[in-house]
Amino acid sequence: MTPQELVKKEKQQVQTKGQEKTRPGVYYMPEVDIGEAGDSLKLWADMPGVSDKDLSVTLENNILTIEGMVSTSMYEGLSPRYTEYNVGNYFRQFTLNETIDAGRIKASLRNGVLELDLPKVKKARPRKIEVRPAQGK
Amino acid sequence: MALLRFEDPFSSVLALQQELERTLLNPAFSMGFSGYGAYPPINVFDEKEHAMIVAEVPGLDLKSFDISAQGHTLTIHSERKREEEGGDWMGYHRRERAFGEFSRSIQLPEEFEADKAEAKYGNGLLMIRVPRHEAAKPSQITVQAASEEARRK
Repeated sequence: MTPQELVKKEKQQVQTKGQEKTRPGVYYMPEVDIGEAGDSLKLWADMPGVSDKDLSVTLENNILTIEGMVSTSMYEGLSPRYTEYNVGNYFRQFTLNETIDAGRIKASLRNGVLELDLPKVKKARPRKIEVRPAQGK
Repeated sequence: MALLRFEDPFSSVLALQQELERTLLNPAFSMGFSGYGAYPPINVFDEKEHAMIVAEVPGLDLKSFDISAQGHTLTIHSERKREEEGGDWMGYHRRERAFGEFSRSIQLPEEFEADKAEAKYGNGLLMIRVPRHEAAKPSQITVQAASEEARRK
């Protein structure tokens, strides 16, 4: 896979399909990278404008939900003069195939990037089976 | 009976979105700036004595920014690097985020002093405040009486 180049991408709006949020406003899908390390899944999501108190990560019935609310307080008293992108909250869900140990999930938010460490439940981890020579030879 | 509102609708994200969309669709606002489609996308806001340029650039190192001003042009240069994956890495399932070096020049209208700009970075947002020239700042004009007669009234 070649790395993606930095170009302006239109934000992808979340399709609600009949399920609407109680608060009006557009939700965007954060761009994510998901990968696998030996004993955990790793996820990074770009959510610029979200601070840690406005972020929620939940895991329920193998569905991982990431939701971030954007604060608009910094825009108070300002009027737009020229705009190239829209501002909105973030929402995305994933169904996890692996069994994740919910109690040991680690989340951190740094400079608008959410980093999740989702440790697999012990039995789901690949185990190397040692082949021993048969007894009695 | 009127519906109760628990929140001022104009303080919400929705109000900001509507305002930004209105500006996006209004060509008269885009005078003086250029470069739609470049990375990073920017929004420019007006304050009384400043312009504020906001760009969404998540995951950058504060030290990686190189912002310079020449004449009326501001140039932002930086590099976005991928996080460390760790030793026992087995591969990606999804790779949507982009990385690499970028550089963008923003041509400011004459009324702004690019060399006096201040930049801040937080929550993945780069905010650059550029002051207006003294002469371009709005000033209050007091109305004085034109004649003795008006003064007495």
